[in-house]
Amino acid sequence: MSFAEVAEWFAFAILAVISVAGALGMATTMSMFRSGIFLMASFIGVAGLFVLLSADLLGLLQVMMYIGGMLVMILFMVLFSHDPGGSMMAEMDMSLIERFFSLGLSSPPDEGMEHGDGMDMGGSGGHEGMEHEGMEHGDGMDMGGSGGHEGMDMGGMDMSMTTPVKRWAAALSLVLGGGLVALLLLRPAWPTTDATPSPESARMIGELLMSKYMMAFESAGLLILIGIFGAVLVARPGAYPDRDARDAYVTADLPPAPIEEGRPPSADAPVPPEALEEVTVNEAHRDKAGGPPSLNGPAGHAASQSAEGDN
Amino acid sequence: MELTLRALGVLAALGLAALLTHFFEPAALSDAQERGPAAPAGPRAPAELASNPDRWMHPAGPVMALLGVLFALVVIPFGPDLVPSDLGIGVFYFIVVVDFVVLGLSLGGWGANTRNSVDVYYRATAQLVAYVVPLGLAYIGAIMMARSLSTVSIVEAQAGMWFIVLQPVGFALYLVTGLMQAYRPPFVEPFAAFIDHGVYGASFPWQALLWRLALSSLMFLIAAMGAVLYLGGWRGPLLPGPVWMLLKTFALMAVMVWGGSRAPLLTTGRMLELSWKVLTPVGLVNVLLVGALILLGVGPS
Repeated sequence: MSFAEVAEWFAFAILAVISVAGALGMATTMSMFRSGIFLMASFIGVAGLFVLLSADLLGLLQVMMYIGGMLVMILFMVLFSHDPGGSMMAEMDMSLIERFFSLGLSSPPDEGMEHGDGMDMGGSGGHEGMEHEGMEHGDGMDMGGSGGHEGMDMGGMDMSMTTPVKRWAAALSLVLGGGLVALLLLRPAWPTTDATPSPESARMIGELLMSKYMMAFESAGLLILIGIFGAVLVARPGAYPDRDARDAYVTADLPPAPIEEGRPPSADAPVPPEALEEVTVNEAHRDKAGGPPSLNGPAGHAASQSAEGDN
Repeated sequence: MELTLRALGVLAALGLAALLTHFFEPAALSDAQERGPAAPAGPRAPAELASNPDRWMHPAGPVMALLGVLFALVVIPFGPDLVPSDLGIGVFYFIVVVDFVVLGLSLGGWGANTRNSVDVYYRATAQLVAYVVPLGLAYIGAIMMARSLSTVSIVEAQAGMWFIVLQPVGFALYLVTGLMQAYRPPFVEPFAAFIDHGVYGASFPWQALLWRLALSSLMFLIAAMGAVLYLGGWRGPLLPGPVWMLLKTFALMAVMVWGGSRAPLLTTGRMLELSWKVLTPVGLVNVLLVGALILLGVGPS
């Protein structure tokens, strides 16, 4: 085997491992954020396989769509979920593989942190400091005797929560997956071709999209445009009375002033850097949490971020 | 062997680019305003260092960002033969690979697990949504005229006339979206002093160093790509190609940074507004204009 072939096999092995391990990690990790990142890694591994097959344009398209797409998707997951960082789940009884993919998750904030702090962290969407009351699930029932799990108890609290094992679903997916792999392996003959990939493939794809597949291409564009209109139409109104009030809350450049006093701070007024340094971050955040109307809950900060797009 | 040499060359170029940008950029910045990723270095006492980080994602952030800029540098031509790799789809590759910086910011910001750094992830992602469409439209004009995605071909298509003359609207659009992509003022939301300079505030020293390296190179790359797309790249009389390329890059950087740091700062909400209500329509108009020019036979034949 020549050097190029060895390199090709090597690259294939790495990319295949990334794709499969990414998918596995996506399904087993305890952190929503990591889950999304693992899915992205899996898709990027597949994109690498495309590149290895000399379809570089397709590979790059895949990377482009999934980096941006996944980041935005994770953002929405984080905004709408209770424990996106998985620290609440980090205490639970995990199987080996779950533990592996949850390695290094930031630990739960029980030690050395006051309660008020915890609430604050929740407010900023951080993955610490969620209340523990929500943990009384009865899922331990589901997994009688599935093996490999041991009950843990955390300082008197019963933390034996586990992910339920659905035996039928597992069996079904095993059979289906095995069937698919068998179909691949038992296929009598793989067609081979002498055609070499053209360096002009980007141009050829473009021409195909604009001639043979123009209807599909253009109507997909129209469909997406209608989707955008729909999203704008059904968007909730923001939580702030006007734009200045919102800017006062989310602005980068000014420590937020109280809104009630009638002088909405404008983002345009430059503030000398020394003035900014004087406000310690903690104080600034306390102001921040108290400032805006109707946003005092732990989800307040997240809601403000999502409200940005609404106006 | 040759591959190793090229890789080393790219690494050296990256270091040099970051170094030059690091010292050049503050000179053009306005003192009155936030400085974004170019905020002065030095011993600061961050209000919250990452005390409870995610042990994998926090270090992965700067590494991912640096990989992104390193890969992006591969297609920047400094001369007809002085390009690490002239990919057939070079410009598109550049757009895609620079996205890894956003991924790095998200990983580093979320992974640091302080309340300020988590904000970095939100803001960087919102900023990505704001610039990604107009940025593509800013590239398309040059691509249409050059009829190629390769950076070398785009420069060669400007042998007769630079695209800045033919497409001033596209150039202006590139300036604005480039600043947004580079997190330079007035688009510094993810690096605002209010959240303790974003990822800087929650980084360990080696990470802060990598972040600075990545973000300085990012500014350099975006200016260099602007020079390739609109200013004729390495072409110019008398002086050799690489010198012209560097001159144009830093001239463009000076214009962008000087102008940007004197504009009013924008929040992410207003960035989205700007993007959807102004930049995207302007970009579409530019595409129409360039199309009309091409039909009229203006531009490279």
